This record gives sequence, C-alpha cells and structure tokens, in this order.
Amino acid sequence: MTEPAIRLQAVSRRFGALQAVRDVTLDVMPGERRAVLGPNGAGKTTLFNTICGDYPPTGGSIALFGTDITGLRPHQRTRLGIGRTYQTSLLFNGLTVLENLFIAVRGLRPGRFSFLRPGRGDEGVARARELADRMRLSHLLAAEVLNLSHGQRRQLEVGMALAGDPRVLMLDEPAAGLSPGDRPELLRLLRELPRSLTLILIEHDMDIALSATDVVSVMKDGVVVVEAPADRIEDHPVVQSIYLGSGH
Amino acid sequence: MRSRAAPWSLLGLAVLLALPWLLPQLLPQGQAQFWTASILGRAIVFGIIAMSLTFLATYGGFVSLAQMMIAGIAGYTLAIFVEGAVPRVVGLLGYGAAIPLALLAATAMGILMGAISLRSRDIYLLMITLALGMGVFRFIETNIAWFNGYEGIRNVVGPSLFGLDFRNALVFYHAALGTAALLYFGILYLVKTPFGLVLQGIRDNPRRVAALGYAVGLHRIAAFGVAGFIAGCGGVLSTIYNIGISPGSIGLGATVNILIMSVIGGLGHPIGAFIGSLIFTVLDTFAATIYDRDRFNTLIGLAFLAIVLVSPDGAIGVGARLRRLLTAQPRPASRVCGEVRSRPPSTRTAKEEPP
Repeated sequence: MTEPAIRLQAVSRRFGALQAVRDVTLDVMPGERRAVLGPNGAGKTTLFNTICGDYPPTGGSIALFGTDITGLRPHQRTRLGIGRTYQTSLLFNGLTVLENLFIAVRGLRPGRFSFLRPGRGDEGVARARELADRMRLSHLLAAEVLNLSHGQRRQLEVGMALAGDPRVLMLDEPAAGLSPGDRPELLRLLRELPRSLTLILIEHDMDIALSATDVVSVMKDGVVVVEAPADRIEDHPVVQSIYLGSGH
Repeated sequence: MRSRAAPWSLLGLAVLLALPWLLPQLLPQGQAQFWTASILGRAIVFGIIAMSLTFLATYGGFVSLAQMMIAGIAGYTLAIFVEGAVPRVVGLLGYGAAIPLALLAATAMGILMGAISLRSRDIYLLMITLALGMGVFRFIETNIAWFNGYEGIRNVVGPSLFGLDFRNALVFYHAALGTAALLYFGILYLVKTPFGLVLQGIRDNPRRVAALGYAVGLHRIAAFGVAGFIAGCGGVLSTIYNIGISPGSIGLGATVNILIMSVIGGLGHPIGAFIGSLIFTVLDTFAATIYDRDRFNTLIGLAFLAIVLVSPDGAIGVGARLRRLLTAQPRPASRVCGEVRSRPPSTRTAKEEPP
C-alpha cells in the first residue's frame, strides 16, 4: 500500500490560550494536488508552519512518506523533501536573484558550507540559472531582490522552493497581492509542475485554487470541516455557510 | 561567482605600502616615523580587531562586544607560551609556534561565543557578548597563576622576520599592513562563497535559510569562529606592539573603543573599520594638542555624534553620498555572480512588504 506523502494525525497547535489548530487528521497522497481553504484566522498558515517545523505541534504526529517528522527541525524536514513558500515573501533582499536561487540550490547539495567560490562551470550556478529561466526571471539575474516587483518576488519564492527538487511543495497564498495580469502566469507555473510532485496550496483566489488542485480541505476555527473534490466544493452547504453565511 | 576587487582598495593599499617612504618627503624625519609607528601602525592593528566586529555586523547582522576580549585571549596565549615573556608562565615556545597557538585559541573562543549566544539577536546578543567579555576580563584581572593579575605579562617583543627585527617600526608597520590586507581581501572573497552568501541570507532572513535546508546555528557559530580568528590576528599584533598585555587592554573601555571605531567608520563595509580606527587614533593621539588630554572622551563623543548625525552609515557613508552627488548616480555598479549588478532607484525600503 502506498504511504501518504503527508499524514497528519490529530495535529494541534496552541499559542497560550489560543487553539490555532485543533486535532487535524489528514492524508495527502503522493502526486495529489490539495488546496487548503478557509476564512482568515482559520488556522491554514499555522497548519503549514506546523507541518514545516516552524511551529512544532503541541499535539499529534506528522509523517512524511511514512517517516515520522514530528520532532524534526525545519532544515531537517526540508532535507527530507519539503519545499515551501511563505504568505509574505521571505527573500534575501540584500542579494541578487541569482544569489538567492544559488543559496536555495546549494541548501540540499554537498558544499553548502564551502569556503570556496563556485567556478564558472559550477552545477549549482547552472541549476540556479535554469530555475530563473523557468520562473521567467532570467533577465533579472543580477538585480537586487529589494528592487523586484511584487509579482517577480512571488515567482522567485516559488523558484526557491523548487530549487531543492522537493517531493512535497507547500505554497502559502502564492497569488496574494498579485495583479490580475500576473495571475495567469502563476497558474501556468502551477500547471507546469511535474505530476509526481505533491502540491499543497493555501489560496484565497478560488479560480486559481480550484484550477490548480484536485482535492480541497476547508478549515474553520482550526478544524478541517470539509474535504471534497475541487469540482464539487463550491456547492457544498458547509462551504456556502462559511463564505456566504447561514442564510444561504 | 566573482566580485570586482575594488580598485580603490588596491590603490589605497599601494599608497599605504609606500607611505613610510613618502612621509619623510612631506614631514620632518621624527614626525614621519611617529606617524608610521604610532598613528598608522596602531590604527591598522586596532582596525583589524574592529574589522572582526564589522564582519559579523555587516554580513551576519550580529553585533558582538566580545571581540576585544577574544583579541585579548590571543594576546594572553602568546604571552603565556612564548619564551622570553616576563613573568614566565609556560614560556616554552618560539614565536613560530606560539602565534598559531594564539590564533587557534582566539578562533576557539570565537566559536564558544557563537555557541553560547546562539539564540540571541540584537540588543540581547550585545548584552550577552558584553557580559561574557567582562566576565573573562574580571577572571584574567584576578588570576595570578596564569595571567599575572593586574600587572599582566611583559616583554613580548615579537619575532624576527627574515632576519629583520619586529621592533623596527618599518618592519612592524609592513607586517601589520600585510596581515590587514590579507584579512580584508579574504573577507571580500569569503562573502561571495556559499558560506558567505548563506551568512548574508541569515542576516536578511534566518527563517527562510532554515527552510532551504541549512542548519542556521552551525553557520552562525562558524561566522563567530572566522571573526574570532580575525580578532586573534589583531590581538597578537597589538600584544607585540605594546610589548606585552595587561587586563586593561581588554576592559570595558577598550571594548567600547572597538565599537566606536566600527560605528565611526561605518558598519556597511570592512574598510569602515580601518577608517574608524584611524579617526579614533588621530583624535586619541592629538586630544591634548587639540583641547586637553583629559577631554579625549568629549572629543571622541563629539566626533561620534557628528558622524552619526551627518551620516548614519559612518564615514564610508559620507564618501558614498559625496560620490553619488558628484556622479548623479543612485548607486555604483558592481560585479556579482558573473553579472553586472545594477541597483535602480529603489522605491521600497527593506522593511516594507507588499500586502
């Protein structure tokens, strides 16, 4: 039997008196495209941070392809195959696009502690250039990240998350703040991802979320309240009640 | 990944190398020698120690107040182990063995400081490193068996370089300048290596660095080790310059002086440490001539205030502002990753995030 890519069993996360995530049990199968939806404050990003290790869970367990990762630190989880982006871009503003991608590539390769500069034929630099090309950023290799537009920063975020060839890619609101003109480009990027990659996506833009994923989990008050195929989620009465109010 | 080895740095180094021969053409013989040994030589030595602080602050975002203490560890290790020092504590090694041992001790102390302060940042890091520095200072001041307490250890005269006596002002000046240049260009090289780029990543966003698979703590400790080695080089030279070492040279005053040098020069680039050190040394030396010896702290305080008010980036910030005014360009271009790096006029500050 195939092990789930991500298996959450009764995962909880508490901040003092606030129970941000409550007993979430969830299986995401390899190659699945899963959207996590819900109103602001539902616990979606906290759930992401718990899976990635930024906030260790206060209850329950997390497994990645059958390996228990509950007690691991963020960099150890990344080395096991998790790649992620953040709700607000977390980039290295003082460095260039190429340097950002190079750091991302070297993170999971030998020589991440090297005191020698990479040569012209360095595999890591070549991979960073290839990623920039894929993210449509190759004309900005030498630009400082601080000076990129918001859309370009989001593209770079995704490129950096893909740099380590993750087995599970977790994108936290990749369309947040994007102009309507930038959204088709993001959708194209998501659709071009290899089918073997497991994708978990938090997104408020329903068009993007439902076009790029197969299954949707809806959260409210830290609990997963609905799990359904993407093409049937909009008609679900609980979802309508959450987004439109109980009168509908 | 290449960076343009700043031509201005190479030009400056050439001028500094030639200075001991140029100064006698401009000044009387006695004054020229005084400037070479007591102003420039001393500024270079303390500039190296200040550069260890600048390296951590500029590229890692860590301001450490333990750097003077780490320099002192190197100085004391040298004084304890080298033969001829008074009083003799161990005194079994020649300079060829005692100097590497001193650098090793400083690097180890840097690593220890990094490990102890691993989880602290900003003001908390400042306070922890200051507390550790003062703790070591008090221990050394009160320990007679190893450190000879308040009096310290004397007669550390330095080695002979290819038959040339280290006590010769010219020999010392060029040895200090050579060491400073090696360390300075070494840092410029290091910050474009994977280690250096990740260090800058930690400065900008440690959480993201961890999410890319790096053990942030290890990198941070290694950066403190590198800074410890740099401070150790300064500590060895300063001990030989002073022909010995005493606890006063690593006390609170000396610790704050290193911070002042770094801030006056500017924390944006390693060269700032040497500029700050030169300004500090000139004011320190000529305070009595300018106003009154006892008013040195007032003078250095006023200089500090003026530079911080005019240019928060220190003296190097003044230079950069003037250059931009003269050339009417927002920022100079430099070469990174084999590409010409351009900085178009920024409309966004570092702290500003789009929604």
